[in-house]
Amino acid sequence: MANVSLKKVVKRYGREEVVHGIDLEVAHNEFVVLVGPSGCGKSTTLRMVAGLEDISDGLIEIGGRVVNALPPRSRNISMVFQSYALYPHMTVRENLGFGLKIAKQSDSEIKKRVDEAADILGLEPYMERLPQHLSGGQRQRVAMGRAIVRNPDVFLFDEPLSNLDAKLRGQMRVEIKKLHQRVKTTVIYVTHDQVEAMTLADRIVIMRDGYVEQVGTPSDVFDRPANVFVAGFIGSPPMNLLDAVVASAGGRPVGRLIDGVDVPLPGDVAVREGQEIVIGFRPESFAPRGYSLHGAENSLAMTRPVLIAEPLGTETILFAELGGREVQGKMLNPRVVKAGETLEFTLDLARLHVFDKASGKSLRG
Amino acid sequence: MSASLTMEKPWQRWLIRFGVFVAMVILVVPGAWVVLTAFRPNIEILARPAVWIPHQLTLRNFQGIFGLLTTQPGLPVVQYFINSLVISVTSTVVALAIGMMGGYAFARYRFRGKGALFLGFMLSRTVPGVALSLPLFIVWARIGLIDTELGLIIVYLAINVPFTIWLTDGFFRQIPVDLSEAAQIDGCTRWQAFWRVEFPLARAGLASAAIFAFLTSWNEFALASQLSRTTASKTLPVGLLDFTAQFNVDWAGMSALAVLIIIPALVLTFVVQKQLIAGLTFGGVKG
Amino acid sequence: MKFLRSPRATPYLLLLPAIVVILAVVLVPLLVSFWTSFTGYTLTKPATLFQFVGLRNYQRLLGNADFWWAFARTIMFITIALNLELVLGLGLALLINKITWGQRTLRTIMMFPMMFSPILVGFQFKYLFNDAVGLVNNALFDLGLIHEPIAWLVEAGLANFSIIFAEMWMSTSVFAILLLAGLMALPKEPIEAARVDGCNAWQVFRHITLPFLMPFIYIALTIRSLDVARAYDMVKIMTNGGPAQRTELLWTLMTRVGYQNSQMGMANAMGYISIIVSIAFTVFYYRKLTSARAFMGGAQ
Repeated sequence: MANVSLKKVVKRYGREEVVHGIDLEVAHNEFVVLVGPSGCGKSTTLRMVAGLEDISDGLIEIGGRVVNALPPRSRNISMVFQSYALYPHMTVRENLGFGLKIAKQSDSEIKKRVDEAADILGLEPYMERLPQHLSGGQRQRVAMGRAIVRNPDVFLFDEPLSNLDAKLRGQMRVEIKKLHQRVKTTVIYVTHDQVEAMTLADRIVIMRDGYVEQVGTPSDVFDRPANVFVAGFIGSPPMNLLDAVVASAGGRPVGRLIDGVDVPLPGDVAVREGQEIVIGFRPESFAPRGYSLHGAENSLAMTRPVLIAEPLGTETILFAELGGREVQGKMLNPRVVKAGETLEFTLDLARLHVFDKASGKSLRG
Repeated sequence: MSASLTMEKPWQRWLIRFGVFVAMVILVVPGAWVVLTAFRPNIEILARPAVWIPHQLTLRNFQGIFGLLTTQPGLPVVQYFINSLVISVTSTVVALAIGMMGGYAFARYRFRGKGALFLGFMLSRTVPGVALSLPLFIVWARIGLIDTELGLIIVYLAINVPFTIWLTDGFFRQIPVDLSEAAQIDGCTRWQAFWRVEFPLARAGLASAAIFAFLTSWNEFALASQLSRTTASKTLPVGLLDFTAQFNVDWAGMSALAVLIIIPALVLTFVVQKQLIAGLTFGGVKG
Repeated sequence: MKFLRSPRATPYLLLLPAIVVILAVVLVPLLVSFWTSFTGYTLTKPATLFQFVGLRNYQRLLGNADFWWAFARTIMFITIALNLELVLGLGLALLINKITWGQRTLRTIMMFPMMFSPILVGFQFKYLFNDAVGLVNNALFDLGLIHEPIAWLVEAGLANFSIIFAEMWMSTSVFAILLLAGLMALPKEPIEAARVDGCNAWQVFRHITLPFLMPFIYIALTIRSLDVARAYDMVKIMTNGGPAQRTELLWTLMTRVGYQNSQMGMANAMGYISIIVSIAFTVFYYRKLTSARAFMGGAQ
């Protein structure tokens, strides 16, 4: 059993605190992704788990054993670095076998396990090459191979795909997923890319400024963002967020936007009149009539000129003005739309997100 | 290059070539003349009117300074040569070890007083050797290090350590920290990670740092001339000065000795040509 | 004891040998010499090491014409040598940069003088400028330009010229090589942009090339100011400050006073002044370097 647990983990550089008491439980064989903008403390947290940074306060346990004082080599972890960190003076074979050699494994055992890893990752043709003669994708594979060869309790990934181009990134994402299905191990994966987080994770940990903003499954954080930050961070194109003030129209609470449009608020939202709120809706929830994802019942209709249309094939992103801001809508199975054309949009009220403006917290029950 | 951008007229091109040619002649001829002199008999060197094209070349001058001829007693050049070699090699090896440790500390660790310490090391290099020789003479005389090889070795350590630190700091900085961390995750201690990963990668750089240190010691004069007294510790550059102090200036013998001093420098500089330029610009422009 | 075992101690432990060496060979002797510069220490009379005389050495120096001549000559020497080397080195780098063929060979040739230690350079020019057997006089004779030998190393003006010439032969290459490296790193686009904007060759040099080279120029000056005192070796063998102190520099004067006249206290006072001069030049160029780098928005 190799679960990882972080208890009130703090990191300070001198007087500056960069990670503020993080609590996290990673179950055995779970794939957990730490995601957040750069400087949010996700890499620092990972490096503390790895033992590359010392822990200023709190406890980290791997498989029930406190590892605070253990050096990296005694934690039975492996790590894939953003730069891959392949040893430039060793061949692929030597890179893969280095950890086993340090652990004084027999040559035959090293060869067996290295060949196994090479087979999983399709590295056989490159075994005698130096890293400098490999492509980016191949290097990435070697880095992963080096991690799996040692058969660790926990895999740590530090932005492993950020140096690849978009296409290769997509491919490697799938491979990492396959790898995890094949080599069942606990994984902690750090990235700033929310698409990677959504596609790979069993659970996502969204971090900002050294705090955990929300922990949940991909659908949790997508459908029920705990606060404005998570709402804006997860999803592409991002959620539209509009300032509003709670008012009452026909006995029902509405959010009054800056341009005077009243948006009826869902019944499960606890608000008081005059409260400043942020209304959020995903582009999928704002579509021209007849082109929406969930149909048009319980929706607010409005006529708006299209400012810009970005056709993407299966869908077209439309920009229109609402609440004094530019908002994005998504038109599914689109027809050709020209800028300046006036369309009737429907805003799906069932999928509205409401946040308190002052605290940023979600107001949905 | 900008040559492709600015189209010179033919006469400009020839002017440029002529300018470069003259500069190269000025740079090469003095040294070449000394080398040539080392292989010419004294009669030709002293001939009047001057003999420009040598009629014969000889190794007699070298035999002379090594005391292989009966006619000239010469200087104890062999002993000087051995002193130079022992002092230079020892101080290079030790300076490299000490400098490598220091450079690694500066490249890899954050610690209190880092900036001040680095500045301190660099400032220690601005002290002119000749100004340093006075107090060193007093101190070394008190503790019995005057005219010993050890005395000079210690002094050259101090001259070479700051520069070695500067160079190795740069070399280690070029090696990503990730590599050492990856090695530690792979099961190495920090010590193993250094020897297995960082050291092999820095080897070329360290070799050139060693050559710089060797050349500095090999060529040093100001301190050696004051801190050595006898054949026990005198080095070749000091020997060269001794030559000029003799009653009859033996130009051929001196030239031969000069050639002896320059050969290692020539070979080693050639070896580290590329690193020499890199070393000069290091930490300067590229950061 | 606990601190020594903690990881925070590692960098200090790594630096310890280096610090010890510098302390023993540079700092302690400098403190000793600082002390002796306030004593009447004479080598032949060890007891005088503790004979405190206050500022007497410095007062005597400031009132001594020989010292002032050597001081002025040293400042002049450093200033003239560094500036001429810079100008010639820049010119040489620009010329070589124009040559498309055999650049590497030319660069190797330029390194030739850098292989010579100062003592060798001094010997070489002592030989070349020798009035009886020197290459220079021989050439002038055979070209029929002179009929009496010129005493290059004896007449004041000529001797100083010869020394500066030797110094330049030794060090112009340092500038040329560094600036050539700078020219090679020069990005093409700004030059092309300037040409499109209608700049002529001089304007391109003045407004694009030169500002880009400034950090290289200052780093060359900084490096050179570090070891400019090595010229002592050269002067020592060429003229030893003579004849009759016509080429006396601070460095030769201090060894004469210290070792020959045994007046160590006085010599150390001079040594201190020469150290301050060296540091002043280095700091001056280093600050120029930092500001030039900041201006270029370069690395660090």
